[in-house]
Amino acid sequence: MISDAPVLQQSSEQAESTAAPAPSRLARYARPMLGILLPLILAVGWELVVWLGYSNGRLVPPPSRIFATILELAHSGELARHIAATLWRVGLGFAFGVVAGTALGAISGYWSLARRLLDPTVQALRAIPSLAWVPLFILWLGIFETSKIALIAVGVFFPVYLGVMGAILSVDRKVVEVGRVFRLSGPAMIRRILLPAVLPAYVVSLRVGLGLGWMFVVAAELIGASEGLGYLLLDGQQLGKPAQILAAIVIFAILGKLTDWLIEVAALPFLRWQDAFGRAKGA
Amino acid sequence: MLALDRVSKTYPNGVQALARFSAEIGQGEIIAIIGGSGCGKSTLLRAIAGLDRASAGTVTLDSEAITSPHAKIGIIFQEPRLLPWLSVADNIGFGLADLPAAERRQKVARALERVGLADKAEAWPRELSGGQAQRVAIARALVPQPEVLLLDEPFSALDAFTRRDLQDHLLDLWADTRPTLILVTHDVDEAVVLADRVLVMRPRPGRLFDQIEINLTRPRDRNSPLFENFKRSVLTSLDRSLDRNVPDRDATQGPGQAMWW
Repeated sequence: MISDAPVLQQSSEQAESTAAPAPSRLARYARPMLGILLPLILAVGWELVVWLGYSNGRLVPPPSRIFATILELAHSGELARHIAATLWRVGLGFAFGVVAGTALGAISGYWSLARRLLDPTVQALRAIPSLAWVPLFILWLGIFETSKIALIAVGVFFPVYLGVMGAILSVDRKVVEVGRVFRLSGPAMIRRILLPAVLPAYVVSLRVGLGLGWMFVVAAELIGASEGLGYLLLDGQQLGKPAQILAAIVIFAILGKLTDWLIEVAALPFLRWQDAFGRAKGA
Repeated sequence: MLALDRVSKTYPNGVQALARFSAEIGQGEIIAIIGGSGCGKSTLLRAIAGLDRASAGTVTLDSEAITSPHAKIGIIFQEPRLLPWLSVADNIGFGLADLPAAERRQKVARALERVGLADKAEAWPRELSGGQAQRVAIARALVPQPEVLLLDEPFSALDAFTRRDLQDHLLDLWADTRPTLILVTHDVDEAVVLADRVLVMRPRPGRLFDQIEINLTRPRDRNSPLFENFKRSVLTSLDRSLDRNVPDRDATQGPGQAMWW
């Protein structure tokens, strides 16, 4: 009777997994469909409204016109050029931000003296709205690529720094003790205990950092650029081409989601052990 | 032989957890340490493990002073403390990183077999029940073949049925290489089932109060009258260790101080 608890739990798990397939096939496709339903209805609705002539769709172009704009840009080769420019900036800024954030976060997390020295300054800098750096960066680094990449790197730096430091500080003392019992050296302790323990939070901080990177690339490109998706936005505004603005926004959404997904997929093999990841995939 | 010589521990906040604890423990002996809460059982165990240093006194294993974790001393904690990112097999092999892969795999496979979890080798720790996880922890601690194995209330978080099961299992594993076992527990039954000698501790500050030899052959019948006798004498000793303590505590602590706790 005492062994009931695990058995019960097991059987209920089994029941779940055996009962799951039949409705889950429906659920697997139906559930994401539910999310698409609202935007789809709105898009089709707006398309109809314009098509039936109730609106000229000049300021809010219908989906077909946005799509046509994207195709047009793609055909002329402009789209590839703008995407490449933007991706390059995000990529470089992200790389610099991640390297700096990881290094300083790791030092502050691992070494409490460094944390006391460093962290208050970093936190103070973090309190500054990052866009406030723009004029200074332009003065220091010029109007071209360097200042843009620096701005993106600053945006990426803070979430990564905070994520790494917080993750190291919250590593379970009990697990570290297991490492001590087996007499791990300093480097072995880092490699075999700290790194794997920190990884889930690190991946989250990378994703947050990347999100901010995309945010700041728009800011950087709005300030002054001759190419890039942000430039498309600005150009669309100045020349009164809302379809081009919306096209750029759609591409931002796709690229942002895609790069985020890339991080998630790249991290997945290392995080299979986690409860949460398996469940999130199943849901 | 493991020798504890007047081991004392005072924490930085002034609490004296352990006062001049001395004992000599022979190779292969099974010792149970029992006592009321706050009697310094775990403190003592951590000092033997080299995880905390004693404020005074020495722990020596075969005339080698123990001040930090030692290869010949293993420990099993109250929780399994498995590394969640390693498979069951890799958890068991965690302390064998220095061995060649083939030898390690072989030892791990044998240990898995021995604790009856051969089919769980590739499972993640989260997929194990509490009892299974603790068996993996036992295997992990035993696989490097320590001379001394410390157990800090290893079965207290398990249900009574699983606990009995694991106690028998532990004895079975112990018989393979016969390491010295030092088991901290607050379960009298567990102490009498497992130990050659029960050390009763007395709290505040923790010190040795009584020793009871358990002269019963193994396997021990939990229902025999002799077993009951030993249980009763341990219980009596435990009661006395706590009763005697009452006037002591009143004498050393004013009424105001008690309010802090």
